[in-house]
Amino acid sequence: MTGSEILQITLLSLLVSGLAALLAFLTGLPTAVFLYLKDFPGKRLVISLVNTGMGLPPVVVGLFVAILFWRTGPLGFLHLMYTPAAMIIAQFIIAFPVIAGLSLAAFEQVDPELLLQAKALGASKIQTIWVLFRESKMGQIAAIIAAFGGVISEVGAVMMVGGNIKGYTRVLTTSIVQETRMGNFRSALILALILLSLSFAVNWFLTSLQQKGEKRWKGPNWK
Amino acid sequence: MERPELEIRELKLWRDGRKILDVSRLELGKNECLVLFGPNGAGKSTLLRVASLLEQADSGEIYYQGIKVDKKNRLELSRKAAYLLQKPVFFRGTVKDNLLMGLKFRGLNEAEQRKRLNKVVELFNLNSFLNRQPGELSGGEKQRVHLARAFILEPEFLFLDEPFNGLDAELRERLISDFFDIRKKTGQTTILVTHHRDEAAFMADRIAVMVAGEIIQTGKVEEVFSAPTTPEVSKLVGQETLVEGVVEEVDNGVLRISAHGQTIYAFGSQKKGQRVVLQFRPEEVILAEEKPATSVRNWIFGTVSEIRPLDRVMLVVIDCGFRLKAYVSKAALEELKLVEGRKIWAGIKASALNASWNFGQQELDSQE
Repeated sequence: MTGSEILQITLLSLLVSGLAALLAFLTGLPTAVFLYLKDFPGKRLVISLVNTGMGLPPVVVGLFVAILFWRTGPLGFLHLMYTPAAMIIAQFIIAFPVIAGLSLAAFEQVDPELLLQAKALGASKIQTIWVLFRESKMGQIAAIIAAFGGVISEVGAVMMVGGNIKGYTRVLTTSIVQETRMGNFRSALILALILLSLSFAVNWFLTSLQQKGEKRWKGPNWK
Repeated sequence: MERPELEIRELKLWRDGRKILDVSRLELGKNECLVLFGPNGAGKSTLLRVASLLEQADSGEIYYQGIKVDKKNRLELSRKAAYLLQKPVFFRGTVKDNLLMGLKFRGLNEAEQRKRLNKVVELFNLNSFLNRQPGELSGGEKQRVHLARAFILEPEFLFLDEPFNGLDAELRERLISDFFDIRKKTGQTTILVTHHRDEAAFMADRIAVMVAGEIIQTGKVEEVFSAPTTPEVSKLVGQETLVEGVVEEVDNGVLRISAHGQTIYAFGSQKKGQRVVLQFRPEEVILAEEKPATSVRNWIFGTVSEIRPLDRVMLVVIDCGFRLKAYVSKAALEELKLVEGRKIWAGIKASALNASWNFGQQELDSQE
């Protein structure tokens, strides 16, 4: 395995999982806001479904997405099977409930009186939601950490809908599986180390973002 | 009548088939302080939230300074008001961040924010903890920040939901008198919810008694407390007589107070010239035909204006410049031959009278 191959695999991993997590954040957060603020019949069922979704096995998601995009499937005409787009969609499905569920849990940790206080100080609807975000920042960053960590490390879904095509849909996890199967433990280990460092780097960045606010909050008097 | 600052008409609110609010009319004049008084669950807090435009009623109309509140102007009008929750809750960040939050919602520029911040910092004496986290403050300090966060908005209306609850007595009294002074300077039209009689007596220009979502009596405090119009109100306000007076002299913790043409001795920590509220408990008032020579310091001469049977005792109301209430047994009533119109002496020990409230220094100055 050449260096440029490894670089290409690493970049694709970052792109697929990063985009999937970003899309999940952009859609999961408003979903959580909606679930938090609106009352409607069947709300509890929807929340239960979202929470169940947090534990979706990637192979099951891979299976569903494969059925959907299979040449004879309902969305077969899009010709997305074995493309990076299919991989992003599959990982988005895995990440979405994690973001929505954990963000909702984070919102529910915010004292409702605080939102009433914000309104009482003249906050508009948008400003009240901003307060909700501001007060639950920790939990939302934790949600992104969990979602990104989940998708960058999964292998089942990307293998099934991406097909591990060399130079096209091969990502870190699928190539680790491939190299191990072939007995190339040295390459497998290098890829594994890259995956770990990547995961660490992203999480370190998110965690420092998360803790920055927290330091200000607790202050030096806790010592 | 002048246009009311705040007007509520035909307000109705139902929840789960239960009537929560039914207020046909409530008006507040400029700078007036109305106290909503009533038992728990009477709907006081709900009325306050509806009046402050935080919640919406099912039907009815609210007018702020003559402008009818509707969907379009709701946010804009609600920003004329500040509503204070019962218990202070704070946003992430420092005391300063918290104080500025409401100004940021209103999109005020930084110069204006700084100007207003300086003003409330001085008014509420917050300088020493402006950059601290609210979590580190004591209960009293938190309450001060809580009040300051409302005043910094320079609201025209103040809505306060038992803001002095859960504080120890001394702190509560100090905060209330501070608040009284500040409000006097800033002059907001105010609705205050409380179930403390003394707080109501001290703060209110007018009091509205609420039971089961309805306002059943409104009027001046002394009027409502001394002449409740329904048995419900009577039960609620109790039978104590509340009288306002001015301290004329202080001698070793004993105050000589002039109230409604009577001289009354009571215990208290107030200074000469301060206004105080005296509470007479009817079970501690003694009645006598002639003024006897006893250790009782206060003897007040008056006319019996009302006699009414209560559960086990008789309630005797004596008109002596104010309506003083006393409990006597039926036997004592016959022995004293008490009938309406009869002149009688009423006695109460100075130690049984407590003068409450320190009206601030400003009050003192204005009387000197």
